[in-house]
Amino acid sequence: MLVDLQGPWNPIFGRLGLLLEVHYNNPIIFFAFMMVVIGGTAALSWVTFTGRWGWLWREWLTTVDHKKLGIMYILVGLVMMLRGFVDALMMRTQQAMAVGPDSPGVLGAAHGYLPPYHFDQVFTAHGMIMILLAATPILVGFMNLIMPIQIGARDMAYPYLNALGLWLTVAAASLVMIALFVGDFSHAGWVGLTPLTELPYSPGVGVDYYLWSIQIGSIGTTIGAVNLIATIIKMRAPGMTWGRLPIFTWTTLASNIIALTSFPVLGVALALLTLDRYIGTHFFTADLGGNLMMYTNLFWIWGHPEVYFVVIPAFGFLSEIIPTFSEKPLFGYVTMVLASMAIAGVSWTVWLHHFFTMGASPGVNSYFSIATMLVGIPTGVKVFNWAFTMWRGKLRFPTPMLWAIGSLFLLITGGMTGMMLAVPAINYLVHNSVFVIAHFHNMFLLIVYAAFGATVYWWPKVFGFKLDEYWGKVFFWLFTAGTLFVFVPMYTLGFMGMTRRLDYIPHTSWEPLLLLEVIGTGFYLLSILAFVIQLGVSIYNREKNRVVASDAWGTSRSVEWMTHTPPPFYNFAVTPVIHARDEWAWRREHGLTNLMPEKFLDIHMPKNTAVPLIISFFTLVCGFALVWRIWWLAAATFAAIIIAMIIRSFDKDTDYIIPAAEVERMEKEIVARAEGRIPAGEPAPVGGGAGGAYASKRTPTQRRDND
Amino acid sequence: MSHANSNPIDHPEVQLASPGAYLVAYAAALGAMFLELWLVVAHVLSPISLTTAITVIALLVITVQMYLLFKLDLSKTQIWFTVSFIMTAPLIFMSIGLTIWMFITLMQRTMLPGM
Repeated sequence: MLVDLQGPWNPIFGRLGLLLEVHYNNPIIFFAFMMVVIGGTAALSWVTFTGRWGWLWREWLTTVDHKKLGIMYILVGLVMMLRGFVDALMMRTQQAMAVGPDSPGVLGAAHGYLPPYHFDQVFTAHGMIMILLAATPILVGFMNLIMPIQIGARDMAYPYLNALGLWLTVAAASLVMIALFVGDFSHAGWVGLTPLTELPYSPGVGVDYYLWSIQIGSIGTTIGAVNLIATIIKMRAPGMTWGRLPIFTWTTLASNIIALTSFPVLGVALALLTLDRYIGTHFFTADLGGNLMMYTNLFWIWGHPEVYFVVIPAFGFLSEIIPTFSEKPLFGYVTMVLASMAIAGVSWTVWLHHFFTMGASPGVNSYFSIATMLVGIPTGVKVFNWAFTMWRGKLRFPTPMLWAIGSLFLLITGGMTGMMLAVPAINYLVHNSVFVIAHFHNMFLLIVYAAFGATVYWWPKVFGFKLDEYWGKVFFWLFTAGTLFVFVPMYTLGFMGMTRRLDYIPHTSWEPLLLLEVIGTGFYLLSILAFVIQLGVSIYNREKNRVVASDAWGTSRSVEWMTHTPPPFYNFAVTPVIHARDEWAWRREHGLTNLMPEKFLDIHMPKNTAVPLIISFFTLVCGFALVWRIWWLAAATFAAIIIAMIIRSFDKDTDYIIPAAEVERMEKEIVARAEGRIPAGEPAPVGGGAGGAYASKRTPTQRRDND
Repeated sequence: MSHANSNPIDHPEVQLASPGAYLVAYAAALGAMFLELWLVVAHVLSPISLTTAITVIALLVITVQMYLLFKLDLSKTQIWFTVSFIMTAPLIFMSIGLTIWMFITLMQRTMLPGM
């Protein structure tokens, strides 16, 4: 071995001998394991008994269609969000139970039901999952799903790379889920506190799971960023100039510039820590020349831009939703674009505010304090722009608008507390207190609100029917109740001096507020139920809620609402020509929603491929082997990845042509279905509502919901 | 998305490949490395001048390699790469510069003098 390891190791099984020490008789782990087994068996049985394996393989697992990849990104994000929520539920209940010396303890814990080591893994997993495997995939999913249609493209610039990005993210999520049952997860916080993550203090495999899963996931995000940027630069439809680009596409660009520049820093920081743990270097150790604060520094050089990587697309969602339901163009398009880019730029200059208390000089702290406050200017510009968009608008309040307005309130409160935290002196009081936790959950919740708004907003475009409004509103209000009950007490507790990551609460006076937070998580739990019911009811009633026009809301403005609903796999039968910012609104005003193309042309499309799935599978096994230091397996799977890439690069048969006649036939069927000439159940290509360059009789110019 | 570019050899970026330029870049890197090794081993400069000399030589080699290996110039096919590369420069200067500043002041404030 390269470094001295505690516990067993042998050349065949690596450190898997450590598994004998894991407590599988712990009912929490056992219950989670049973849930996964039952859920997995149910899903596999459903696929088998309905004979859907071929369909699953052809339509989803090997697809390079940006829409399907986007949907899968969002699904992965939602599943991981559920896992992260269960972690949150455990933290809230543990803290509420373990108050004061007389509080009882069960399952091996002195107080509450989670011993410190297990509690530490729970909060580490919660943070890491929610940021990197829930928020990031959901947002990247929306960029994948919507952005290419918004710029009038047929697919991403690199469809194969797109599939690879998704499946690497899935590999990272799988590795984290494996850590739940095979070994431990990191106990050192989602930021990976050094030197706690160093081998002498974390001798198990938990930190290794953390390192390799983030490393794999961040490769996926980086290649995704390359792809999204290239798509925006190179794949815009004729007439889609920079000044006409929809704001969501602009925010996608800003956000992915951040991802492309900052994720390599994370990769390097984690790689150096990996070297410390695997070959005994001393980059971040407390002795022998190591500099443990350098890890924190590198982590936040990535970490702060990452925060804006997730918040900027949320601003993009708001900029699409608010004009639609205000029936006005977005106020201040140019300032909105400049503000997005300014936030992206400033994101690189503020990272020290995560460790103001390190002990840097007043000059350094003042610089970073001022830089942090500067973020408030472009963000303030955006808030005013949204407010002025709504001012004197014809406001409607369906669920997407409710989520958007909720998101605005959260942005304002989170922004205010952010300004407070930008002051170094305040940090000396509240650093590592739950006030900070409440602040950044406040900010992340604004992203969650915007993302749920985006889900309801674009759902009819993607699936052809609207989500149920009643259950959507129940979901929104329960979720909002949860947010208030959890985070108002949390802000208060922060001011009362409660630090983060406590598995035992020494002050009994904090108990009432902690109980309020538990009530809040109860509301969250109910809200998730409401969401599931909303999905169930909407899918059950999908024929009733079918969207019969290309524009589900009647007042949408951008290009994605021009194509059929749901869009066919080639997005646009003929490449649209863009005449204005808010092209769809422009066409509506000029009565150009019923245009028929003069002739159809051949369409060039990418072919499905299983290579990304195969590479991702080998990457997952390679990651697992590296975690357990099974060197032969790691070497073999790494070689397999390289071989798969080489084989793929010699594959010339990666695309195909849909002849013009075939396009015409499919388009006619879609229009026929939209006009009701083909019953809904009958097989026809795709699409329930026609639109775009041409449309059926029931177009948004003639009929609008609630008219 | 046209078929005209499906042969990789036809891509302008690939056509820029030049064995001569690659060899020159390699020789320049090797030469610079030996020069710096000699500067360090032979102790011909004071520590400050040595650091400066090594930095300047490193920047020169980076520039030569960017031009000869990556062909970062202002031609129509390459200008996007050149511009995006130059736009990362502020990030690099800022992240490294601010890091140096914060750690120097940290050391002054937390370490015993002379240690």
